[in-house]
Amino acid sequence: MTTLYLYAVFNGVVLGMAIFLVAAGLTLAFGIMKIFNFAHGAFFMIGAYIAHAVTGQEASSLPLFLGAALVAALAVGGIGILTDLAIFRRLGNVPHEYTLMAAFGIMLFCTGAARIAFGQSVHAIYPPEAIGGFSNVGFLVSHYGLFIIASGVVVFLVLEIGLNRIWFGKMIFAVARDPWMADVIGLRVQRLKLASVAISFALAGLAGGILVANQSLSLDLGHSYLLLAFCAVIVGGLGSIKGAFIASLIFGLAESLNSVVLPTMPGIGSYALLIVLVLIRPQGIYPELSQ
Amino acid sequence: MNRIAQIALLLLLAAFLFAPFLVNPGLVFIAGFALIQIVFALSWNLLFSYAGLISFGHAAFFGVGAYISAVVLRDGHGIHFVLVILICAVAGAVAALLVALVVLRRASGVQFAVLTLALSQLIVVLIGYSSLLGHDEGIAAIPRPVMEFGLFTLDLNRPLTNYYFVLAICLLAVGLMWLLVKGHMGRAMQAVRIDAERAAFIGIDVWRVRVVAFTISGAFAAVAGALLAPWGQIVTPDYVNWLQSAQPLFAALLGGAGFFWGPVVGVLGLSGINYLTRTFAGLSEVLVGASLILVVLLAPQGVLGAVRQFARRRGGGNPGGRP
Repeated sequence: MTTLYLYAVFNGVVLGMAIFLVAAGLTLAFGIMKIFNFAHGAFFMIGAYIAHAVTGQEASSLPLFLGAALVAALAVGGIGILTDLAIFRRLGNVPHEYTLMAAFGIMLFCTGAARIAFGQSVHAIYPPEAIGGFSNVGFLVSHYGLFIIASGVVVFLVLEIGLNRIWFGKMIFAVARDPWMADVIGLRVQRLKLASVAISFALAGLAGGILVANQSLSLDLGHSYLLLAFCAVIVGGLGSIKGAFIASLIFGLAESLNSVVLPTMPGIGSYALLIVLVLIRPQGIYPELSQ
Repeated sequence: MNRIAQIALLLLLAAFLFAPFLVNPGLVFIAGFALIQIVFALSWNLLFSYAGLISFGHAAFFGVGAYISAVVLRDGHGIHFVLVILICAVAGAVAALLVALVVLRRASGVQFAVLTLALSQLIVVLIGYSSLLGHDEGIAAIPRPVMEFGLFTLDLNRPLTNYYFVLAICLLAVGLMWLLVKGHMGRAMQAVRIDAERAAFIGIDVWRVRVVAFTISGAFAAVAGALLAPWGQIVTPDYVNWLQSAQPLFAALLGGAGFFWGPVVGVLGLSGINYLTRTFAGLSEVLVGASLILVVLLAPQGVLGAVRQFARRRGGGNPGGRP
């Protein structure tokens, strides 16, 4: 019984880190642009397809797998720059709800384009052999799961240190807090916004490349993570990386323990938890960037 | 300009009235769906354009109506279908009232949108558990009702009767919403949307107005759902999930939020795109997506907003459309 729970906890942490990989870019985009980027899930999916195109069904080595994730991050980051130049930048004077519709439009556009480009079929992807195995520590620990946890922690540390301790992060914070004032003191607001949008999209591509082997690859891939990532961003406090990290862990564990504690009612835990958490603390765990 | 708007509205009404004689049955089927979506989108727009609330889970109330009427029709209780629609409206109103009482007290803005989204997704999950509601596959092959009115009988198995029944109920619902919006309640709702604090100063009970608006909106959404069961003959959880909840948002913003008739234009536009691209997998999403982006970039007031601006620039006359 204990091992069952330990196994569920391990899986919960893996899922939590997977959610965080998606939520990190989402919360960054919200902090800087103040819009909910519904297209994030679609770009995550495109990243996964790009990684799949680079490696094929099973990457021959770990460096190739990581390289493919990097290629996906760069490619999706590039798409992000184009999207910002063509669309997001022009939304400055448009009411809030309309920016939401633009994001929705981009999502539909990307899903449709991916359907035309990649076809409807579902692919089964395997992790490379170096991280494809299992270890037995009372229960089976998949090495790929450990790899996802490590990736999540690395991304978290890089973002947290990068945003809070380094000049570049402080400039982004300044732009997020008050674009007008940042402009007055001589920051290049448009360029910084472009950079952070590119980073946010690149994170989506990276997440796609890393998580591509976590489940079968299909066009619905975006939806499955997007909703949970949204939950994490809301509960974490809009725009907060730290909050998103903690909330992702909470939702990952809730989703995983749900299947052990209430096996007859799959999928109910995270939504019930979301409702309770938002009712208790509507402003989120760390309401820093949102104001 | 007002006259042009009236003429356009009458032409639209005529097009719907004579649709079964003008176009093939496939298009009539789509027209019926469009009517149902119009009522649904208008009910959502009551909240958005008039009460200033963005609900992301409105499909839940649509689903309440759809599932109640589907179950009643499937089990053949012999309840008069008009009564079923009324039951659906009441059930939708009660569900919306409960949600409003819990959610509106704690949350507003983004949090409100997310809470409604979470509640509707919770309902999708719960439907998946229920064998009464057909799990994830939904309820299919729903029989169409036959209604006795004393003097005459309406048999919805006849395509023409079915279409005009849906049209009549939808026109009634649209008319009721129009009266509501133009009346005292609509003014109060608009005051709350524009500036809740000032509305409170002039003696409007903001909290009550919002709760009542949400309740009424839920009732109309449920009526739209109730019509889906006999028209489409299939009800699945897809009609309750968040993508269905987003449809009225698209329609309202595409047609022009702030106009009562905006969602109507939006639904017609979206149905048209879907119909024209139905044979190309993926292309319809690309086109709907591209048109949403274009509308946001080029005409942030929606189609009707762009028309009004054009008319103002030309004639400088009264603003057309109806806010």
